[in-house]
This record gives sequence, structure tokens and C-alpha cells, in this order.
Amino acid sequence: MSHRTALAGGALLLVSALALSACSTGGGTSDTDAAACTPSEGKVNLTFTSWLPGIEDAVAIWNDENPDIQVEVQTGPNGNGGTYKNFFNQIEAGNAPDLGQIEYDALPNFRVQDGVVNLADCAGILDAKSNFIDWTWNQVTFGEENAVYAIPQDIGPEALYYRADLFEAAGLDVPTTWDEYAADAAIIREQGGYITNFSQSDINAFAGLVWQAGGQWFANDGESWDVTLDSAESTQVADYWQGLIDEDLVGTVAPWTDEWNAAYNSGEMWTWVSAVWGANTISSGAPDTSGKWAVAPMPQWTEGASAAGNWGGSTTAVLTGSKHPYEAAQFALWLNSDADALTAMNKSANIYPATVDGASLPAFADGLDFYGGQKIYEVFAEAAKNVNPDFTWGPTMTQTYTDVADGFSGAVSGSGTLLDALKTGQDKTIAALKAAAIPVKG
Amino acid sequence: MTAETKARRRRGIRHPVALAVFLGPFTILFALFYAVPIGYAVYQSLLTVEREGTFGKATQVFGGLTQYVQVFQNEAFWSAVLRVLTFGIVQVPIMLGVALLLALLLDSPLVKGKKFFRLAFFAPYAVPGVIAAIMWGFLYSPKLSPFTAITGQVDFLGADLILWAIANVVTWVYVGYNMLIIYSALLSIPADIYEAARLDGASQARIAWSIKIPLVRPAITLTAIFSIIGTLQLLAEPQVFKSFSSAVTSTFTPNLAIYSTAAVPNVNLAAAFSVVLALFTFALSFGVLKYTQRKDNA
Repeated sequence: MSHRTALAGGALLLVSALALSACSTGGGTSDTDAAACTPSEGKVNLTFTSWLPGIEDAVAIWNDENPDIQVEVQTGPNGNGGTYKNFFNQIEAGNAPDLGQIEYDALPNFRVQDGVVNLADCAGILDAKSNFIDWTWNQVTFGEENAVYAIPQDIGPEALYYRADLFEAAGLDVPTTWDEYAADAAIIREQGGYITNFSQSDINAFAGLVWQAGGQWFANDGESWDVTLDSAESTQVADYWQGLIDEDLVGTVAPWTDEWNAAYNSGEMWTWVSAVWGANTISSGAPDTSGKWAVAPMPQWTEGASAAGNWGGSTTAVLTGSKHPYEAAQFALWLNSDADALTAMNKSANIYPATVDGASLPAFADGLDFYGGQKIYEVFAEAAKNVNPDFTWGPTMTQTYTDVADGFSGAVSGSGTLLDALKTGQDKTIAALKAAAIPVKG
Repeated sequence: MTAETKARRRRGIRHPVALAVFLGPFTILFALFYAVPIGYAVYQSLLTVEREGTFGKATQVFGGLTQYVQVFQNEAFWSAVLRVLTFGIVQVPIMLGVALLLALLLDSPLVKGKKFFRLAFFAPYAVPGVIAAIMWGFLYSPKLSPFTAITGQVDFLGADLILWAIANVVTWVYVGYNMLIIYSALLSIPADIYEAARLDGASQARIAWSIKIPLVRPAITLTAIFSIIGTLQLLAEPQVFKSFSSAVTSTFTPNLAIYSTAAVPNVNLAAAFSVVLALFTFALSFGVLKYTQRKDNA
């Protein structure tokens, strides 16, 4: 390259940079102005991105009943698997779908990025409060007055999925405490299996365990964030699983892979502590084990206690840039509280609604063949009542998950420990918050 | 510049319409898909975010080189750069060595079935990179591989071997491509040079070593530079392997680190990372080019 062309290229870059800076100062981010929530004229078409299996069925019911508000579903990978990335890019580019599925743990991240619309002034939204389980409403309002950033969809109360047939054949009782669980792990290992697989990349599952133990990872006093990934409860949970990993009592297959499905399908893995929606994961990933599973409450840290964790659960949010927030809000509210919609979503994705009445839907009274005919939702309904209602998620959870997962991956392959990973995650989260100019202690 | 071209330039552009027709499409596409995105990245990298309170509205302000300070303080990014450099130092010579060997074999008069082998060696390049990575991921997998006898013993997806498992995939995909470039350079060598060599009593091996390889050096340099750029920009293979192996972290390669930063989302920092990586890649490939040219001239 001659000096002349290099210079010309540089000049071109400069010009385009200036041109872009000129256009972008005009745009700016749109206000999440709740007052603008009024019905649109004429027929409205909405787009909705979700990764819930079979969400189309529920949406089809709406489209039949509301010819003037048609919703088009786009499906994608699960949130942290790519859909959140897409949302953030689309919001930045100003072409986000009207509605998006966002898990509770990611909602603060979207609020910090000004990516979700406050629906408080949309008709009927504030009044819907009493329809939803308290802690879910708390998550979507951030405990603030006149704020509703999404409509709760489902919750993920956790329980213990276990292979009833294998436990019976081995003469083992279902573990009720984590101590018993560890003791069973050793016995199962002697028989060639693993009690479970430690999901090194499902940091939200680990958070669920910390949640059960009464811990917190974040606190927000309105002025700044406090990050406590290495809290006492967190340390307790990390040390427990580190012990199981050190003694090779748990599998360490990467989760959500064919390898992982194969490990469950072949009977190598005996249990899974997971959320209610995990019922669908097992039945689709390990079809050969049909009828052999059962569900029991989570093992406890204190004997006789009944604390449960929560893993996942989603909301339906109206994304920044939507031209029809009123219609979008009405759809979101309908989708997550209408009995037919909730039944359809439960049928296709085993989700457990976030509404107070959801648990009494007929669909939840049925026994499931895959689980030996057990009425598994009774276990989860009980667990849902025992979930600590106050759990705060941080404003950059995708980053926190990624950084802790990097450390956990190291820990399962022998470099460092889970606790080291939490400490590194703590430092990196604080650094990431500072880099994004989000006030943080420490 | 010769006197003649200078004279022509003084007379002005003689065919403005033709010039516009020939250069227009390139210039427009170049500007839209190259210059503007790069300019936008540079612009984004100079901004920084300010906000008040935990959920305060963010405003982008000019931050000068703030993001670049963070780039240079980011250990994970630089260890990723170091990792791909290690990868490149081992993988690029092996890949180009094999490519050269295959090209020479194809060019040798002793080999039969050239057309078949030419296509066979090139075939992996026709497999999209992501598909190739998924395929190899299954081949390496300890439980799902058809070769569990080997993969059950050797943990290709573990922390020790994963980089070289990826190197193997990259080599498999790109050997044929590089071979083809070198092979076409070999085809352009005039036959009378070989004839002269044979008259002097040179063997096929001697011809390959003393005539063919020196004459295709520019092609080898070209493939080397493509490979260096490709190595520094590794993304698809490690991204796919993330779902097979826990040893691939979110900052395994520089591009993966940029990808995760953009997912936070912290676009300004991600843009600064990208600009630094681009400059680094440019400097490195330019350095290799200069170095080989100096050796050629000496």
C-alpha cells in the first residue's frame, strides 16, 4: 500500500466516522414514557420473540380471538444462548420485536440498558398485581410504585427429579438432606453411575441452590449495587459441590448437549435438581427412561426444613421501540393469565404459571406418564410456596454468568475451585459494572 | 512515477463516465460494507457511558481513549491473543507444510489420478466451517464418537488438548484451500525450466526442492498471511466447541472475548477490542510480508 492510498483510506474512515456521529446524535434512545400507552388506530401487527417450545399454539388462540391485533411469533435460542444478544442488538438498532421473552434474572440487565417499556400506565396492568404470585410481581416492578417492566409468565420452583427404579433397585431412600444426597452419591458411584451431573455452565442453576440456602448475590439500595457472589451461603454451596467434584461423585458433562442427553438417557445419571420446566427437558432428552422417573422435594441443608430454590422463569416484556405498547401489553397480560393460554403453554413446555390461580388449572391435577403417573405439579406447587420471595438479580447477569461459568469450567477440569470461580466472578462483575458506569460498591 | 503518466495526469481524467462505471460499484460497496462499519466501530470505541443511580438513564459521551485503556488492562483478552499466537506458530507451518507437500505431489509427473486427488483434498474446504466443527466435535466426543476406543482414553476436549483439537479441525478444513493456491502457482512455472533441469540430471526431488519451492514462495507467503489473519480471528470453531467442551471459555480467542463483551452489552469496549485486534492483525501480517520480501530481495 502506498502512502497516498493509506492516507486516502484514513481520510475516508474519518469522514464516515464523522458522518455517523452526526446521524447518531439525532436519534438518541427513545423514552420509556409510560404516558404514551394508548390504543393504536386500525389493525395492529405485533412481533413476539420467544424460545418456549410450542408457544405458537397459545398465540394462535389469541390470533383467533383478536382479528385486529395479530401476533407473529419468532422463535430463537434460549435467552443466554443468543436471544438476549439479539435483543440488545435489535434495541440498539431500533428494530426490536414488540414483545420478547425475558427471564427474571435478565430483566435488570434490560432495564439498565433502557430496553424494556414501563407498562404501568397501560390500561389494566397495575390492577393485575393481585393475579400474580407476590415475588414475581416484585421482580418485574423492582419493588417500585408505578412501575411494571414486564408481565410474569412462569416460575421455576425446584425439586429433585430422581430415577425411582434405580433407587429402589439399589435399596436407597430418596435423600431429604444434602448430607444424605452426598452419601448416596458415593454409593451410586460404586455402582458405576453418577448421582447427577454438575452443570458447570448453568450458573443460574447454581444461583437457585444459593437461593435455597438463603443467600443473595446482589443488593440494590437505589444508589449503588452491592455484589456478594462469595457470600457465606454461596461459599457453603460451592464447597459442598466442590467436595463432590473432587471425589468424582458427580458427572461434569457440558449441559444441554447431546452428550448430556445421552448420559441421562443411558441411566448413567440418577437425579437432577431442577426446576418444574426440567420435566420437559428430561422427557425430550432421555426418552428411553420414560416411566422410570419420580419427583421429590429438594434436599435440605437443615433436616426437616422445606426451603426450595427457583431456577428460571420468564416474563413477557414490551421492548423499547415498540409502536404499539398498549396492544403489546394487553397481549402479554392475556398470554400469562388466560386459562387457555396457560394450559396450552403447560402442555407444550411444562411451564408452571406465575399466576395465583394457575396452580388450580385442571392441567396441573394430572399425573404424567413419563413420571410413572405421579402428579408432579403437586410437588412443585408446594416448592413454589417455599421459595424465598426476595432474591435480587444483578444488572449484567449475562456477563456474571459467563465469567462464573468460565471459572466453573476450570474447576470441573481441575484448575481452581468453585469458590475461586465465584470470587473471580465477583471481581469481574464489579469491573464490568464500573466499565458500564453502573454505580457499585467495592 | 514515469514522465508519461505524469503528463497524462496533468491533462485530467479522459474518460470520466468509464471511470465511474468501473470504480463506482466497488467504491460504493467498499464504503458501505467496509469503510462505514469500521468508521462506526472506531467512533463507538471513543465513546463512554455515563449514568446516575442504579437504573439511571445512560448517556453516551465522548470518552477519548478510556476504552482503549481498559483494553490494554484486560488480561483475559491478551492471554487470548497469546493463545492464538501459540496456536498459529504451531498450526500454520504444519498446515502450509502439508499443503505444499500435497501440491508438489499433485504436480509431480509420477502421481496418477490427479483430478480425483485434487478434488478430494479440496473437498473439506467446501464443508462450511461450523458444520466441520460440529462433525469433529462429535468425532472427539468421549461417548458419542464412532471411535470411542480412542476418545474414551484420550480427552481431546479437555483443557490440555482442546487447542490442538481445534488446530486439527482448522488444518483439515484449510489444507486443501492452501494447496490449491500453491498448486496453481506451480502450474504457471514454464515447462522449459524443468526440461533444463532434467538435462542437467536433476531428480524429481531435486527439481521440487531447488526449482519449484523457490518459485512458489510468493504463493506460500500469501497463504501464510491469510492463515495468520484467520488464526487471530478464530471464532466459529471455538464457538461450536464451547458446546462440546467445558475447556473453551468465553475469552478463549480474542474474537470470542469481543463477542462476550458485546453480549454484556458493552458495545463501546467491544468496539475498542475490535479496533485493537484489527490493528494488531494488520501489523503482524504486514510485518510477515515485509520480512519475507526482504529475504526475497537479499
